[in-house]
Amino acid sequence: MTAPGKPPIVAPGHTPGSVTDQISSIVLTRMPRWWWAAFGASFALVMMLLYALTKLVFEGTGIWGLNIPVGWGFAIINFVWWIGIGHAGTLISAILLLLRQEWRTSINRFAEAMTLFAVACAGLFPLIHVGRPWLAYWLLPYPNTMDIWPQFRSPLVWDVFAVTTYATVSLLFWYVGLVPDLATLRDRARQRLAKITYGFLSMGWRGSATHWHNYETAYLLLAGLATPLVVSVHTVVSFDFAVGQLPGWHATIFPPYFVAGAIFAGFAMVITLAVPLRTLFDLKDFITIRHLQNMGKVMLATGLIVAYGYVIEIFMAWYSGNWFEEFMILNRIQGPYRMQWYALLLCNVLAPQLLWIKRVRSTPALLFVVAMFVNVGMWLERFVIVVTSLHRDFLPSSWGMYAGTRWDWAIFVGSIGLFLALLFLFIRFLPMISIFEMRTIVPKTQAREPDEVSP
Amino acid sequence: MSKAATKPEFALMAEFRSSRELLHAIEQSQAAGYTQLEAYTPYPIEEVWEALGQHKSKLPLIVLIGGIVGAFTGYLLQYWVSVINYPVNVGGRPLHSWVSFIPVTFETTILFAAGAAVLGMFALNRLPMPYHPVFNVPRFALASRDRYFLAIGSWDPKYDRRATEEFLLGLDPFEVNEVAS
Amino acid sequence: MVEVTVDDRSLELPVWILPGHADGSMTIHLGYGRTRTGRVGSGSGFDAYRLRTSRAPWHVAGARIRKIAKHYELASTQLHSNIGLAPGPNEEPGFGVEGVEAERRHLVRVGTLEHFRQEPDFAQHMGHTPPEGLSMYPPWDFPGYAWGLSIDLGACTGCNACVVACQSENNIPIVGKEMVAMGREMHWIRIDRYFEGELEHPHVHHQPVMCMHCEQAPCEVVCPVGATVHSSEGLNDMVYNRCVGTRYCSNNCPYKVRRFNFFKYNDTETPVLELLRNPDVTVRTRGVMEKCTYCVQRINHARIEAEKEERQIRDGEIQTACQQVCPTEAIVFGDVNDPESKVSDAKAKPLAYDILAELGTRPRTSYLAKLRNPNSTLEES
Repeated sequence: MTAPGKPPIVAPGHTPGSVTDQISSIVLTRMPRWWWAAFGASFALVMMLLYALTKLVFEGTGIWGLNIPVGWGFAIINFVWWIGIGHAGTLISAILLLLRQEWRTSINRFAEAMTLFAVACAGLFPLIHVGRPWLAYWLLPYPNTMDIWPQFRSPLVWDVFAVTTYATVSLLFWYVGLVPDLATLRDRARQRLAKITYGFLSMGWRGSATHWHNYETAYLLLAGLATPLVVSVHTVVSFDFAVGQLPGWHATIFPPYFVAGAIFAGFAMVITLAVPLRTLFDLKDFITIRHLQNMGKVMLATGLIVAYGYVIEIFMAWYSGNWFEEFMILNRIQGPYRMQWYALLLCNVLAPQLLWIKRVRSTPALLFVVAMFVNVGMWLERFVIVVTSLHRDFLPSSWGMYAGTRWDWAIFVGSIGLFLALLFLFIRFLPMISIFEMRTIVPKTQAREPDEVSP
Repeated sequence: MSKAATKPEFALMAEFRSSRELLHAIEQSQAAGYTQLEAYTPYPIEEVWEALGQHKSKLPLIVLIGGIVGAFTGYLLQYWVSVINYPVNVGGRPLHSWVSFIPVTFETTILFAAGAAVLGMFALNRLPMPYHPVFNVPRFALASRDRYFLAIGSWDPKYDRRATEEFLLGLDPFEVNEVAS
Repeated sequence: MVEVTVDDRSLELPVWILPGHADGSMTIHLGYGRTRTGRVGSGSGFDAYRLRTSRAPWHVAGARIRKIAKHYELASTQLHSNIGLAPGPNEEPGFGVEGVEAERRHLVRVGTLEHFRQEPDFAQHMGHTPPEGLSMYPPWDFPGYAWGLSIDLGACTGCNACVVACQSENNIPIVGKEMVAMGREMHWIRIDRYFEGELEHPHVHHQPVMCMHCEQAPCEVVCPVGATVHSSEGLNDMVYNRCVGTRYCSNNCPYKVRRFNFFKYNDTETPVLELLRNPDVTVRTRGVMEKCTYCVQRINHARIEAEKEERQIRDGEIQTACQQVCPTEAIVFGDVNDPESKVSDAKAKPLAYDILAELGTRPRTSYLAKLRNPNSTLEES
């Protein structure tokens, strides 16, 4: 099945039985010692997050560096950054499924998990960024005590719908994908508690022809629904800015440019996670160099779209003849936050150009370095959009400066801890590679007669 | 295999080592006149459910209905809130700002459709179902690894405990088991 | 900081170099640096009485000044500099950009009397005002009253009385130096100050800015909970108890007149402070946005009186707090639906203009351009 010269999707010599045993054994045996260390460290960061959030709720938004004119800062930057990262998971599991890209199989499960945890981290920020977090539920569509509903013209309400829909559908998609694997674990588990838990979660899945038939239909339909959804979510997030009239926000390029940026950031995060995981859990047979190469290519392509977005922003500022726009760009280049902008260009435009070189795409360590650049660069991009646009807008008398405080940083770093902690728990308790889909592709990728196995 | 003392058995189940053997067995069973067949495989195999005569799932229709309900719910909610229940001048925009109502309508469409897909799939598969007789066969655990099973229900008009077992053994299975109910 | 020495007495002071201050001189304010004034006064500023003698109570000659290696943070709400001048070669980056931008954006419009005689509506041609009715949206009607306000920049002296009056009328918290330095001042009305011309002898322009009560308010559309909506009389109402504090409205306000309670600034526990406050105005809590209401409590008071007497509210019956105290009567408030009202009269003048009108916000607050009549023997222009 593999074209000559391309590394395989699955290493040779595997059978449905061997993939089942190898992947399920990660969950069903004890975790290595480094897992405890890593989980402990990320759990400590979660505790720091909780401490910072407690302080925030007791004292107020003022512990952050916000002011007038910069009414949004780290919280919104982090929100957009996390939700962007989430997008790659849905892209891998849904869009690549529809495009029949079989190489997606071994990375889709943990990419989807990454989506869920990134969305969980993202979802935290809109709740806590408001001045009165205990009333954030007023954005939900229900008539409160005064019989008042949300104001549906606000992009923030669209956000509520988009993000909750995204979180729900991602969770359903992920869970549906897990059901046959939970059944596999149920059948393999030896401990009674594990048997009961996995049995409960697998709902009595039997793998009958009827099951598979409805299942495959549902999975395909969900992929078809998740595809426009994932595009719409970052489009709606970009509307938070594009619907405003602020120079640097009010741009029609934002939706496509944000979606491309989201995929760009998400693939960078998948690579960031996949490179260490495949080594630590000895999954090089399943997450092969081929996967890394393909992800590198996707990153390069979306990175070029993002670079195009930057160029068009500058072009439109000049072409529109709108002085406010022109000033916004000049301020990005020459203003007090110019270093962030240059760093952003280095991380998001220059660094990904290395991916043109095949050796970079095939060397996990180099790919990891490029991905780290992109992770940082995409955070900086949101910083430039949010802060650099806000700090100097229409009336020079109201211009100001912004810098995150230690509490801003604590919450940001804490959210990374939350993400990692959830990810480590996921690795511990659920199969990080879709076992049944691996069983599906193994026969197709192996040269020898697939179904013949020794009893 | 010990036989359940009181209740009649649920089915007879043959275990195969490959999907080819399974497909062959399905063909043979149908040729022999059996109708109450069910196959169990470790991963989805389209030929298997096609062979068992399952061609169209009802699910797409359920999802379509879910999506339509979602779209109407989303749009009508916004219309009712903004125009009928609480009309107020917001930034000089019209009460019925239909352009602004599209994103939410889109999201509710997807939400309801996806919900319908998942709930519909579970409902059509009769899940959750914690107990099922096939789990009584210890080797059935391999159905989630690399073995393929064919069960003939005891309610099949042509079913006969001995004859059917003979028939299944003739298909060169790895093993034939009785499924206690 | 510098050390100022007069005879044998010296004082360490922070300096702020302002355009137009005469060379070789400095202005030092008296009244600060007190040691026993309690929480608010103690330790703020520097005691200039140490340099003052009964022989020279107001002016001292022969002061020496020396730069010292100390740093002192000054808090100001007006950090922008001159207009009409590009930053000089020795100025730090960014300094002066505000001035250039303020001029390019025609926020404060100034002309000479001569110019006015040749082209009376010059101020309206300096900016770009979209024609009435140029909108994708059908217009809203304001059949009853339609409140509006006009500020004469020619009359404004920048005395700040309006700022203080607004603060007392509307229970606006005083947030302190640290908050002001962070850009968290709470004033609903502010005086934007612009220098024009050369650094040695600039012209100073003052522009009071408060909520414009835009008819197509950018802040309202983006509020997710409908905490800021329009009233039937065209007021941009702020519903404090509905506000959850997303601050989106402030981000989208081009005039940046919205103020946010980053902390619980108001002391609601100390009973005696209740006497300090205006009982007609809500005391805002932490996490909500606030801004100029056009003194809606005064509007409602007048409405109740008028309804009791079964008549319309008379022009001039409502005075906003800022208008009431303005010594030069630069601020006029009233019903713009009434063609006879003073505010309609002001808005019909050729000097009337809106700021940032090109954004299509249709503000209810408008300005009258400043006119100067320079003496040709003193000034070349």
